[in-house]
Amino acid sequence: MTVRADGAILVAQPGAPSTIDLTERVSSTASDRFMPYLLGAAAIFSGLLVMFLIYFVVQRAWPVFHSEGLRFVTSGGWDTQLEDSWGGASFFGVRELIAGSVLSTLGALLLSVVLGLGCAIFISELAPRWLKRPFETVVQLLAGIPSVVFGLVGLMVVVPFIESHLVPMNSGNVVTEIPIAGSCLLAAIIVVGFMILPFFVTVASDSLRAIPRSYIDGGLALGMTRWRTITRIQLPAAAPGLVAGIVLAAARGVGEAIAISMVAGAIAFIPNLAHGPLYALLEPIRTMAAAIVENGGEAMDVPAMAAALFGLASLLLLLSVVLSLVARWSFGVFNRRMGVVSDRAL
Amino acid sequence: MLSIHGGGRHGLGSKVGTVLCWIASIIVAAVCISIIGYLLWKGGHSINWRFLTSDPAASLMEDAAGGVRTPMAGTAILTLLSIALALPVAIGAAVYLAEYMNERWWITRIVRIGLETLASVPSVVFGMFGLSVFTLGTFKFLSGSGAEGSQAAFGRSFLVASIVMAVHILPFVIKVAEEAIRNVPASLRQGALALGMTKWRTISKVVLPAARSGIATAVVLGMGLAAGDTAIVWLTLGGSMTMGVDKWWQVGNWIATLRGAGSTLTTFAYFNSPAGDGNSAGAAFGAAFLLVCIVLVFNLAAVVLFRRRNLNGR
Amino acid sequence: MSDSFLTADSNETFAILEGMLSTSAPRVRSTDAPSVFEVKGLDVSYGKKRVLHDVSLDIPEKRITAFIGPSGCGKSTALRCLNRMNDEIPSFRMDGKITLAGQDIRGKAVNLTALRRSVGMVFQQPNPFPMSVYDNIALAVREHQGRMGKAELDAVVEQALRHASLWDEVKDSLKDSALSLSGGQQQRLCIARALAVKPAVIMLDEPCASLDPISTARIEELLLELSTDYSIIIVTHNMAQAKRISDKVAFFLMGRLIEMGDALQVFEAPVRQETAEYIRGAFG
Repeated sequence: MTVRADGAILVAQPGAPSTIDLTERVSSTASDRFMPYLLGAAAIFSGLLVMFLIYFVVQRAWPVFHSEGLRFVTSGGWDTQLEDSWGGASFFGVRELIAGSVLSTLGALLLSVVLGLGCAIFISELAPRWLKRPFETVVQLLAGIPSVVFGLVGLMVVVPFIESHLVPMNSGNVVTEIPIAGSCLLAAIIVVGFMILPFFVTVASDSLRAIPRSYIDGGLALGMTRWRTITRIQLPAAAPGLVAGIVLAAARGVGEAIAISMVAGAIAFIPNLAHGPLYALLEPIRTMAAAIVENGGEAMDVPAMAAALFGLASLLLLLSVVLSLVARWSFGVFNRRMGVVSDRAL
Repeated sequence: MLSIHGGGRHGLGSKVGTVLCWIASIIVAAVCISIIGYLLWKGGHSINWRFLTSDPAASLMEDAAGGVRTPMAGTAILTLLSIALALPVAIGAAVYLAEYMNERWWITRIVRIGLETLASVPSVVFGMFGLSVFTLGTFKFLSGSGAEGSQAAFGRSFLVASIVMAVHILPFVIKVAEEAIRNVPASLRQGALALGMTKWRTISKVVLPAARSGIATAVVLGMGLAAGDTAIVWLTLGGSMTMGVDKWWQVGNWIATLRGAGSTLTTFAYFNSPAGDGNSAGAAFGAAFLLVCIVLVFNLAAVVLFRRRNLNGR
Repeated sequence: MSDSFLTADSNETFAILEGMLSTSAPRVRSTDAPSVFEVKGLDVSYGKKRVLHDVSLDIPEKRITAFIGPSGCGKSTALRCLNRMNDEIPSFRMDGKITLAGQDIRGKAVNLTALRRSVGMVFQQPNPFPMSVYDNIALAVREHQGRMGKAELDAVVEQALRHASLWDEVKDSLKDSALSLSGGQQQRLCIARALAVKPAVIMLDEPCASLDPISTARIEELLLELSTDYSIIIVTHNMAQAKRISDKVAFFLMGRLIEMGDALQVFEAPVRQETAEYIRGAFG
């Protein structure tokens, strides 16, 4: 026992063991040994889930692919075929649906990329310090709003607006095949555009921020304005990252079903450009995803319809897998350019 | 080289460019705020005690759609069950990815690609996947029998919807959880190992507790996703507005309720919107209002937890 | 309750500073003690990079041995070989033999947990777990001693904290987060944690590098007291510290052990030219 100068008493204890035995059996529980396997199983299971997805969806679509092959995607007439299938018909052509998906997604991408770039530049360069966080939070909020809410607001605000302000009076004379109303391609573009915008903004602003300061300084030292360094140096350098953002936003947009089914008119129709761009935008569409959700409930009772819907789901699955891989590759290119050595793209 | 970058405060040197960016940002912020504001305003009108405590009524008349009691219960059941199913698998996978897996193995590549593609699959496809799997006869226990005389299962129930939803939210929960685990400083792991703790004990007793708030963020994120999805619910739970069982709240009926169909706030809003069969905008707005409130709460919780993580356990 | 320079009792402060500033001679304690660690022919590389060449030394029991040398000379690597912490690094390769109390630490039957229990380690940056002071120690104890009654656990925790000269400062706040302690207190907590599992050897890798002089002095005082019961190895780049507390000194340079001997001999009359130059301060 030692007493220190300040009165503290140190209790001497047989501190160190008298013998050291490195081979003593330390009780390690069984969990130490099997946990890594359990965890590994969870990881591998999660990674392979997508395989199950592909199998179970494509397998159910097989009847329609087998009997129609490529005609599934090249022929049209979905709406009437749907009706007829109740009576036993089993031919489906989804050309209009594909057109609907493509047009609405491209339009939405245009909207979200244009606005999104502005927002991304705002976040990374323009925003005063006190505004940056709140604005990013607002963009994140936009991402969290459920699709049915977007659809509802679109239906109650955007559609009537288009109806009363954009649809010309005598539209019925110009376009005779189908009624022109507020529920149309344009409504879908606007609604989906804002839905997918946060996805693009996040990726774009991250990409811009990842550009090394030295690139920018080099431009500034040459006398370029900030704006020129952004447009001439930063954006081109960030291009692969931006591409990845676009692709991710596209994947989100093509998969959107609920909001589109509420605002786009639910008629499988390919907007006819011959009527001029305004009318083309005002014509209704139906997309692949929307078609699934509109008929999915009852489809399971009619095998042919079910197969067709699974066929649509297979197409969507193929599309999203391809887009995801393209995004991953694009991120990889970006990371390599920035000198990041990592296999984790996102 | 002189560096004269003065940051955003001094402008971009291009009036047009600056103005365009400001306009874009104002538009986006305005849209977001007005969506929420519009919803709170319109939906607020529909929220009253009767709305919250009565059940949906099957009626084609406008403004007679009834209340949201069962849809709210449905949302709660679905959200809780989905995260309960997804969380163990997600944490297990996140731990393995962060602590055991080597980025150079080929299997790691496969798992990461698999998770990324899973994350980009649209909801509707998940819904169809659910219908494909759970109408198989082997899964009758999850949802009851299908059409008369068929071998198939009905394929739609809370159990089915929760399983499918769990699969949908899994990659997102894994990503956030893995990030949280990776952020635990290496010095803590070293300290534990030097004390003689085995790798798994280090993880379970030191690393995971230290990653608490990041994992909580992942949970809240997953719940937000589950609460807001419509397509999966519409396809795997069905469009019926009422619960499958009378007196579903009684404990004895819980299994039957889970095996039965029902609705959630999202399908209720979808059904009652003017584009759906219900044609009762007021009820749809009410449900949408509640939905947005729930989502806002979840988002707020996620942000708070995220900030707390940065303050705790430096 | 903090050991910051400004609030320490003034008498104590002067005593400590006086001790540090005096150019007292290095400790003289007989070092013909039995060896607790014997290292023979240690070669270490990380991937293609060789960091240690043919290092052989003996660590005496119940003495303080200091590894000194300039940055990057391999002294920390050598230390980490002794409790096999380097095993955690994938590119680590080792040749040579290290025995602890006569047993090869890389032997087939050796239990890594038992080894690390016998050889405790304290790091340069204090790394208490983000839990309460009590739990930091309790966790370590429970790892090795399994189920324990609350009274018994309380006693062990108190003992460890007393041993590390921290008890008086934390006894009323055991449930507070360990992160609310000052740097010096956190480091003493890490020492207490290491002591709680009753090791035979305690290794410290530059433990005072991030601490103020008062905290450093307290820890040095603590180590001197502990050396009656434990074998202590300390890596330090602070030669004055090595002079103050060590019994035996090993001087490393560029991955080789240049000289090892009694502290008195190495500091007053080094055998090798390089040692003399380093001690003189010709390079650091």
